[in-house]
Amino acid sequence: MATEILLIDKDKSHANALAVYLERQQFEVYKVDSCDAAMTYFDNLSAEIVLADPGLPDTDTVHLLKQIKSSHPGIQLILMCADDSLDQAMDLLKQDVVHYLVKPVKSAALDLALKQARTWISMNNKMDRYEKKFKEMRNAQVLYQQLFDEVPCYISVQDREFRLTATNRLFKRDFGDEIGSYCYEVYKHRGSPCNNCPVAATFEDGLPHPTEEIVTSKSGKQYNVLTWTAPIRNVDGEVTQVMEMSTNITRLRQLQDHLTSLGLMIGSMSHGVKGMLTALDGGIYQLETGLARQDEKRITKAFEQVQQMTGRIRKMVLEILYYAKSRELSYKPVDITKMAEKVFGDAKAIADKNGVVLEADIAGDLGFVEVDSNWMQAALVNFMENAVDACTYDQSKQDHKVSFKVFDPGNNRICFIIEDNGMGMDRETREKMFTLFFTSKGSQGTGLGLFIANRVIQQHGGTIKVESELQKGTRFKICLPRKKPEQPLQVDDPGEWANNLIDDGKGNA
Amino acid sequence: MKKILIVDDDPNIVDYLVTLFEDNGYATCSAGNAQDGFEMAKQEVPDLITLDLEMPGEWGPRFYRKMSEEKNLKNIPVVVITGFSGSEHAIGKAVASLTKPFDRGELLAIVKEYV
Repeated sequence: MATEILLIDKDKSHANALAVYLERQQFEVYKVDSCDAAMTYFDNLSAEIVLADPGLPDTDTVHLLKQIKSSHPGIQLILMCADDSLDQAMDLLKQDVVHYLVKPVKSAALDLALKQARTWISMNNKMDRYEKKFKEMRNAQVLYQQLFDEVPCYISVQDREFRLTATNRLFKRDFGDEIGSYCYEVYKHRGSPCNNCPVAATFEDGLPHPTEEIVTSKSGKQYNVLTWTAPIRNVDGEVTQVMEMSTNITRLRQLQDHLTSLGLMIGSMSHGVKGMLTALDGGIYQLETGLARQDEKRITKAFEQVQQMTGRIRKMVLEILYYAKSRELSYKPVDITKMAEKVFGDAKAIADKNGVVLEADIAGDLGFVEVDSNWMQAALVNFMENAVDACTYDQSKQDHKVSFKVFDPGNNRICFIIEDNGMGMDRETREKMFTLFFTSKGSQGTGLGLFIANRVIQQHGGTIKVESELQKGTRFKICLPRKKPEQPLQVDDPGEWANNLIDDGKGNA
Repeated sequence: MKKILIVDDDPNIVDYLVTLFEDNGYATCSAGNAQDGFEMAKQEVPDLITLDLEMPGEWGPRFYRKMSEEKNLKNIPVVVITGFSGSEHAIGKAVASLTKPFDRGELLAIVKEYV
């Protein structure tokens, strides 16, 4: 594209001659012979070079040129004037002008001036482009810094000595923001680099390396993280730093652990079922042979065993069904003295069999309480059975006793106290006893009993208080409101229970 | 009379096996865990042992290893009766492995073969 030149000269014929010369050199020339004419042109000025005779001593043109230069700083001014007014022109325009020529203009001088003007123009253009690029880069840098900070992973950049040179916001939040400290110190609270460090491997071969680590935050929390590394290279392609990106997968691992133990529990439950079925087989065999031999003693024993096994299997199946489906309770007013006596009767059979003394202290007229009697009875029997088991398993003493007390504490409530002098519970057992699938009875327990009993009591709006000491015994105090809860109490159903597992690690993200 | 030692931690199953074997003309003795079982084996030197794998304290395989180190016990045939399916081969030298609930005809046939 041809360079445009605005030619300002009052001497028309001189201007024409210059124009011919310039056009021959591929310039596009616009001629004006007065300031007024220049002004109209000025509004949509596109020229890059202005070649002007200031027409001194009149200074109108000088002002015009100053104006042009201040509003279009990229324009290159070349001045031509008579030898005697050159000093004045220089004085007035100073460095606004790229070149001063003396009239009459010599072609070599003009060529040189034009060449210089064009050099300036191209330099200016280059500068403009660089400035624009620089701005873009700065914006990009801000954007990348934002991305770096907001990525939902821990990011750190490390040098060859594993010193942190940059970390993102999440990293700073959980591990502090000390630049220059060692990665292994911050992540693992160690005094020396870890074995199999993926950062070291990336420094070695320039490739990304994954690992899974357990790291400790500044508040002492342990997180499982999945780590990837990436090399950062200088212009020569050498790895100067390594970026390490760690995703917190603690919740995932927790869930996986829970699922693993769930699988184990179900495995051990099926083992228990098999044992019960075998014992049931035994009962049936003895019943069969007893009948064939008319052996009264064997028949009685076999019948008891079949009864006991069917009871255990029934209980386990019911528990599994209860767990598999959360059901509505059907409340009815129940004579609590009668219900307590029934519970006592059920528990007595079990206690007698195990040589445990069972005592009852059931107040005479306790009145009515709104409960689902099936589930409430099952829950209470479960507490009683556990008390008997705690006695049976206890080898520290000979005489064992379970007491069952039912009374009215006032305040429209009813209380049950089940107390044994059995083996007692350690802290772990106390904390976990209501947990699904937790059992302290090995293959004899399903880990469902107390979990369900606890839920039944909770659904009734009741409370459970536990006191226990190892080898001394355990005391459960269960209190129920006499009226059913106004709104059905939402006790975590199985689905919600699974959700709780996921929410377990709140604030771990 | 040939004698069978029953090692199982479930008293109901011990009772079942005792009755079953005695009805079929065998003498029995029994133990509820591996330690007692080992003592009983040394004392009684039975003609066959039925062994549960999962018991509180020592497990079945440990019992078997201890037993095979005793000169006069190591040739006694062992029948594994376990609730774990898939662990039938936990004791490679056992003459047979049954999973609970087992078929009593099958068990009696095995016993008859080895005693």
